[in-house]
Amino acid sequence: MSTLVADRIVKTFTVNRGGATRELRAVNDVSLTVAPGEIVGLVGESGCGKTTLSRIMIGIETATAGEVSYDGRPVKSRSDWRALRRSVQYVFQDPFTALCPTMRIGDALAEPLAIHRICPPAERKARVARMLEMVGLHPDVARRLPNQLSGGQRQRVNLARALMLEPKVLICDEIVSGLDVSVQAQVLGLLLELQERLGLSLVFISHDLRVVRYLCSRVLVMYMGEVVEQGAVEAVFDNPQHAYTRALLAAIPDHSRLTAGAAN
Amino acid sequence: MAPVLSVENVSVRFPGARGDITVVDDVSFTLEAGQSLVIAGESGSGKSMICQTLLGIAPGAASVTGTRIDWKGRDLLRLRDHEWQAIRGAEIAMIFQDPTAALNPLITVENQIVDAIRAHRNVSRAEARARAIEVLGLAGFPEPEHRMRSYPSELSGGLRQRVAIALALSCSPSLIIADEATTNLDVSIQAQIVKLLRELKDRLGLALIFVTHDLGLASDIGGDLLVMYAGCAVERGPVNDVLTDPTHPYTRGLLRSAPTLKSSRANPLRPIPGQMPKPGSVGAGSPFGSRCPVVVDGVCEVQRAGWTSAGPRHDVACHRFALEGREGVR
Repeated sequence: MSTLVADRIVKTFTVNRGGATRELRAVNDVSLTVAPGEIVGLVGESGCGKTTLSRIMIGIETATAGEVSYDGRPVKSRSDWRALRRSVQYVFQDPFTALCPTMRIGDALAEPLAIHRICPPAERKARVARMLEMVGLHPDVARRLPNQLSGGQRQRVNLARALMLEPKVLICDEIVSGLDVSVQAQVLGLLLELQERLGLSLVFISHDLRVVRYLCSRVLVMYMGEVVEQGAVEAVFDNPQHAYTRALLAAIPDHSRLTAGAAN
Repeated sequence: MAPVLSVENVSVRFPGARGDITVVDDVSFTLEAGQSLVIAGESGSGKSMICQTLLGIAPGAASVTGTRIDWKGRDLLRLRDHEWQAIRGAEIAMIFQDPTAALNPLITVENQIVDAIRAHRNVSRAEARARAIEVLGLAGFPEPEHRMRSYPSELSGGLRQRVAIALALSCSPSLIIADEATTNLDVSIQAQIVKLLRELKDRLGLALIFVTHDLGLASDIGGDLLVMYAGCAVERGPVNDVLTDPTHPYTRGLLRSAPTLKSSRANPLRPIPGQMPKPGSVGAGSPFGSRCPVVVDGVCEVQRAGWTSAGPRHDVACHRFALEGREGVR
């Protein structure tokens, strides 16, 4: 089965503060399993290690200790990672910097096909057009440049590019945090639709627990490099056990706490 | 109580290739001392441009028109540049979204605040320094005497925003404008800063304008809410009333799009179809007309709705609501 597993991952960085070097454990003994079709939320505040962990899971960053495996096989050599990245794709937070400003959208979307040599050049255009339609964009967008698109459209293009290789797992790092509320709702709806249609698994990284509650079935809460709580999203959100989870939930601004007729 | 600030029919336009582009369209509101107003809207709604207008820092190309912006008996629309100097930063202060960009990286926290105070007040350095320590303390900056010698780069994002708040407080303003002031902060820091702003408002009797795109945050700030869409104010009233009983189709759509801690897939979010109109493309009709599920044919296209009462101090600008009330916008 196409299961992505991060097993007992440790990542230490050497930092230099005032001339003295010391070790910083960004990720400390964290394990994460993504089952087929599952949406796993990874939450925590800046510096908690959630992005570092996710970058290790796709080989942008190397783990100090621990192992990533896919389909039951450990991912070790360069060619292992290269093969993994056909099945596991990463969608970056900022849709403005993730696209090359001088490359037309159609070329940006066709590039993964060329790199992995998996689609005859003559068919690439049709495949790009199909993918643009799948993420709710007009095929004409292929002729445009990134600066001719809105933030929401660019994030759809980013998703489309990640989907070009028909991956099994998407790792999404804060992909809706920069979007306006109504656009965010559109992208969340698209993610759910894609998950259902393509049987995708998602690792969804976010600091916005409202979005995670809506989208994910399971959630891991990270704090200072460690997972402090994990479980089914309803269980963790409705009955948080760890003090940090409780503090995080209490800090979320939430208008559903309002009741009609109450004074401000 | 008489309002300290009264904005009457203010519009902001930019010259465009095919006529003027209106980014703020005939907006009015009032604010009393010790009260807060949340201006909520998505990008392009004109919320930031209103803030800039209140500080006299709208871009030079902008043409600001309107009946009057009354600030303690003076009309801000008709101030000269040197008259602005006495108000901007001293009577009306602003906290920006990005504290890193708002602070000078080459000057210590202490000197930035001392300079700001001495620009407005004829006091000695020692007096200004004492005041800097005082306002840093008010802003919850730890050990101000010692740590105010830091440079902004030596501080965390949350502490930098506290410095920006201290700077805003330094000349005892009557109004503080916070434009997405917590957007870049972690949620727990955001909660602390929101709590701080509420406390300062109550303790110092400040008027507060808080601009945000997050309706959850609007509910945490409290006070009044003004919902903006494509440059127009579409609904206004006490935050609690507007969010628990939204009456404008846009406010209702926004709330159905926004996940909460009670959201689940069993009750899917319903995004507003379509996109916000490009600035300048809203004609004489309702700004939301092209996306509105309850548009009144033949009316919304040609005519802007006036205010209709939806409750005590709660108004909505919607033709459908004016015709049929709550049933019409369900």
